Amino acid sequence: MTATTAPANAPAAGGTPGPRRGHPARWAAIAVGVVVAVFVVILATRPQASDVVAPSPLVDRPAPEIEGPGLDGATVRLSDLRGRWVVVNFFATWCVPCLREHPELVRFSERHPAEDVQVLAVVYDDQPEDVARFFRERGGGWPVVDDVGAKVDFGVRGVPESFLVDPAGIVRTRLVGGVTADGLDGLLGQVGAGG
Amino acid sequence: MTAVRRWLAFLLLVPVVAGALFVGAGGGDGPPSPAARAARLSADVRCPTCEGLSAAESATPAAAAVRQEIRRRVDAGESDAEIRAFLVSRYGKDIVLTPEGTGVAALVWVLPVVAVVLGAGGLAFAFRRRRASGTAAATAEDRRLVEQALRQGVTR
Repeated sequence: MTATTAPANAPAAGGTPGPRRGHPARWAAIAVGVVVAVFVVILATRPQASDVVAPSPLVDRPAPEIEGPGLDGATVRLSDLRGRWVVVNFFATWCVPCLREHPELVRFSERHPAEDVQVLAVVYDDQPEDVARFFRERGGGWPVVDDVGAKVDFGVRGVPESFLVDPAGIVRTRLVGGVTADGLDGLLGQVGAGG
Repeated sequence: MTAVRRWLAFLLLVPVVAGALFVGAGGGDGPPSPAARAARLSADVRCPTCEGLSAAESATPAAAAVRQEIRRRVDAGESDAEIRAFLVSRYGKDIVLTPEGTGVAALVWVLPVVAVVLGAGGLAFAFRRRRASGTAAATAEDRRLVEQALRQGVTR
C-alpha cells in the first residue's frame, strides 16, 4: 500500500495559504450595481417629459394660417393675433397629458395680458360639445378653434403639441408633450419676448 | 459545353431578365385613378404618430388627416413630388418611407446592388481559382499501386 502524498501545491501544515483566487461573481455583481445606480441617477435627474423642445421644419418660417369656428361659432384666425406672442396649443379632451397641462396653461395665461401673449387652442380630433364642456369645467379664457387641416399644416404628430409663434407670425419653437407655465416663461425669456 | 456556348447562354438570359423586370415594373393598365394615386402615396408616407406603419395602414387621427390631405391635393391636381414635398415641409424628411435617391440616403439604393455585384464577382473568382488549381496528376508510384491492386483483384 503506497503512502499518499499531498498535492505539490497544497500549503504545508501550519504554513501560509496558497494564492487567493479572484471572485468573478462578486466583481460582476459590483459592476451591475454600479450600472443600475448610474441608471437611477440619470433617470432621477433628467428633465420631465414636458416643455420638450423638438425640431420642426416650420421653425423660423411663417406659421401656417389656422382658421375655423370657435366655441361660440365665430371664426377664429391665427393671423388675427399678429402683433403678440401666440402659444398654438394642439389638444384633445381625451388626451391625459392635455388634462395635466391645462392648469399650467391657465396659470400661464393669467400671468400675461392677452395683448402681449395669447394662447390659441386648436382642437385635435374631438367633439365640439366635449371641448365646450371641458372649458366650462376647467376654465381657460383663450380662443379655441376647430381647424381639421391645421394638424397637417403644422406637422403635428400627436397631442399635446404646442408651437410658439412670435408677433411677426414666425414659428420659433415646437414643444412636444405637456407644457408648464414656468417652461413657457423660460422659452419666452430665451427668445427675447421679455415680460 | 464550350466556353463560347456557355457565354452565349448567359447573354441570351440578359434580355429575358431585363424584359421581365420591365414588364413587372410597369403598370400596363393606363394612368392610375385619383383614389389609386392617393392610396399609393399614403402607403409611401409614414404614420406621423406610429412610426412603424404607413399612413395607409394606420388608424390614428394623424394618419387619417395625412390621408385626407393627400387625397385633397391629388384632387387639386398636384403631382406626387409636390405632395411629398409639402409633407416633408411640415413633418420633416422622415415622413417619407422611401429613401431619397440623392445624398447619403442614396446609399440605401446603391449598396444592395454593389453587394450583389461584389458577391457574384467573388464567387466567380473563387470558382476560377478552384478550376485553375487543376486535378492532381498520377505519379509512377500511384500507377504501380493501382496495377498491383488490379492484379490482386484478378487472381482472387
